[in-house]
Amino acid sequence: MNEPGALAGLRILDLTDHKAALCGRILADMGADVIKVEPPGGDRARRIGPFLDDLPHPDRSLFFWFYNLNKRSLTLDLGCSRGVDLLLALASTADVVIESFAPGELDRLGLGWQRLHRQARSLILCSLAPFGQTGPYRDFIADDTSLAALGGMLYVNGFPEQAPIRPLGLQSYHCGAEHGAIAIVCALLQREQGGQGQWIDLSIQEATAAAVEQVAASYFGEHKIDRRQGTLHWSRFFRVGSCRDGYVVHCTLGDWTSLIQWVAADGKAQDLIEPQWNDALYRAEHAEHLFDVLDQWIKDYDCAELASRAQALRLAYGVVRPPEALLGDEQLAARGFFVEVEHPELGRTFRYPGAPFRLGAAPRCVYRRPPLIGEHSGEILKSELGLETDQLAALAAEGVI
Amino acid sequence: MSSPPLNGIRVLDFTWVVAGPLATRILADQGAEVIKLERKIPAPLRPRRVGLQGGLNRNKLSVAINMAEPRGIELARRLAKISDVVIDNFSARVMRQWQMDYESLAAIKPDIICIGMSGFGRNGPRVNDVSYGPTLQALTGYTMMMADERGDPVGWGYSYADMAAGQAGALAALIALWHRSRTGRGQFIDLSQFEAVASVIGPALLDAAVNERLQKPFGHNSQEAPAAPCGLYRCRSDRGDDDRWISIAVRSHSEWRRFVTAIGSPLWASDEKFRTLFLRMRNRVELDAHITQWTLEIAAEEAMATLQQAGIVAGVVSNGADLCQRDPQLQARGFWPAVKLPDGSTTRVPGIPFKLSASPSLAPRCAPEIGDDNDYVLGELLGLSRAERDTLAASGAIWT
Repeated sequence: MNEPGALAGLRILDLTDHKAALCGRILADMGADVIKVEPPGGDRARRIGPFLDDLPHPDRSLFFWFYNLNKRSLTLDLGCSRGVDLLLALASTADVVIESFAPGELDRLGLGWQRLHRQARSLILCSLAPFGQTGPYRDFIADDTSLAALGGMLYVNGFPEQAPIRPLGLQSYHCGAEHGAIAIVCALLQREQGGQGQWIDLSIQEATAAAVEQVAASYFGEHKIDRRQGTLHWSRFFRVGSCRDGYVVHCTLGDWTSLIQWVAADGKAQDLIEPQWNDALYRAEHAEHLFDVLDQWIKDYDCAELASRAQALRLAYGVVRPPEALLGDEQLAARGFFVEVEHPELGRTFRYPGAPFRLGAAPRCVYRRPPLIGEHSGEILKSELGLETDQLAALAAEGVI
Repeated sequence: MSSPPLNGIRVLDFTWVVAGPLATRILADQGAEVIKLERKIPAPLRPRRVGLQGGLNRNKLSVAINMAEPRGIELARRLAKISDVVIDNFSARVMRQWQMDYESLAAIKPDIICIGMSGFGRNGPRVNDVSYGPTLQALTGYTMMMADERGDPVGWGYSYADMAAGQAGALAALIALWHRSRTGRGQFIDLSQFEAVASVIGPALLDAAVNERLQKPFGHNSQEAPAAPCGLYRCRSDRGDDDRWISIAVRSHSEWRRFVTAIGSPLWASDEKFRTLFLRMRNRVELDAHITQWTLEIAAEEAMATLQQAGIVAGVVSNGADLCQRDPQLQARGFWPAVKLPDGSTTRVPGIPFKLSASPSLAPRCAPEIGDDNDYVLGELLGLSRAERDTLAASGAIWT
């Protein structure tokens, strides 16, 4: 079965660098034709590791691979007028352009919103910038860590006496990209109602700030500044504990009676059998003592046994595992989360982490490996813009493609 | 200016905790009419109109229907019949026992879109497992990789998993709406929060799969382009608060030269062992000690301004007050819109992280108390008279 995916028929020009490349990846996973427009020599993300077999090469960057699965690649020099003209022509065939240049740069290239809108009234332009297109920080530069810092995502992770802990993965960029995809589909739906294209001004800092659960709620709701509290979750219902062979996350929400009967049966309940602990708010208030007692209880258990007995009682305990544990996870396997993607030029097939969800109707079933540099330049310019072989040869000789 | 993108879309919202309500909030913010179907509880654990609940439920409506009563279920099914999207984050059994699962609803509304945002999805060996954000963060690797200075697992201080899953839930609904507009067909989306969270780990998981490499806590290393200096540096204390930090990344040779000038060209910076990026990475402990000498003497905001002026990546590690009140960028873009409360006071909530040029940005409407919109939902939408509603209330099918 080769279903095209729910966004089949949509064409997206992806001019982003690695800050926003996940946005196009998500839409490509859902079936959109996403054309990655790279400068000659390739996207800079191709230079970021890790690399396949640790051999650095622009076509072996796993960093690039992760963010560009299912896309096609067109190389185009946007610094010259021929390149800009080709992009404008291509934009006329597209529904969406995604970009993450520094604010103002697209205008400087002659590809700003006004120009694109004149070219194609129905085109949607989504601009993802660290701080958005306006404001005093507009021209500041950023990486994922500084955006996580300025978005409030870092301050609350870790121990109070140590430096804050950064997220696994580039989560500020990911929040920006997910909101970019959300904004794009919103704009597409609005266009369906008879509207035109529009310009989306997305701030990655704001997408990050919107993804910090409780910090603003505490500040505006309780005039309180949340601090780091080690492995204790802000709600005070979860903390990491140590078993004989590793770590688990405790959970004191849910069926407290079942939990404490179990602990008591093991002879480790101490004062937790007293009735005041039945109250969830009391448990949160006295979380340090509560988890200290539970830590004593679990120290002779194996993680997996503890978590599975807890789950049987509907207690949301979980084993603290490394990411590679997901590769052997039976739940992910049963649901087909990982996708097998063939790389014919390497004669190998690799397992990629799949999309955040699959649709019941129109799921994408066939995956296209990430493109080699400019792999589809010829086919795109020929079939979409009707260029002849000799024109392509001339463009290549001039370094435009 | 045209009407908002989801104008005319109605969402029946059974979600609770954080991930589900975030998904429906994103839809409500774009103009969808989101109706929270809720159980009346005597005293909610947390306030409804401010704080976390206030932020998650703004722009939504609330109807108090008792799903333990057959007549309550019937009302919910009538609401589903006039809705476009039905979202829940229960386990599979719950919606089925109410005949509110996709198959049952598609029989009365063929193009209905149903989204089940369960912890692990509707099939597989963990189908009955329970989870909160921290459970999923532990299982997917975040908790272990986000380690302390000794390498022990710490993880997030909050439930980022709920955020990732909530964003995915909203996107799923939007894509299904797009698909419906093209094909006329509805569908069921079986969204596993576990998978949504695993999907955003990034290249580290692909590295584990492809290179079969066991992942280690990344510690001080950059997860994007290599940089040194790189990471978080403690700054001068501010009004007695010594928990002040700045994030700095110096990636290229030209950035390094500008960085050295910006911090006053100290002697140590010309040492051979810091000459190249490779050497700076290799001698990072010593390098960081030197840089901390500079940052400890300067306020975080001032360090950020100085470095940004020199074209260096730098950002204050914002605490709640920085984020919500002091950050000039978020203030200038109006990221914390005010919400008027019924008592005349105001609170603030996170804004929408993108601006659509063709859509008005409306001031958010305050979150409802449970059952606030009974009259509109039961009266106007379902056409029940006052007397009929009173009868339903007396029979326990709704709460007033």
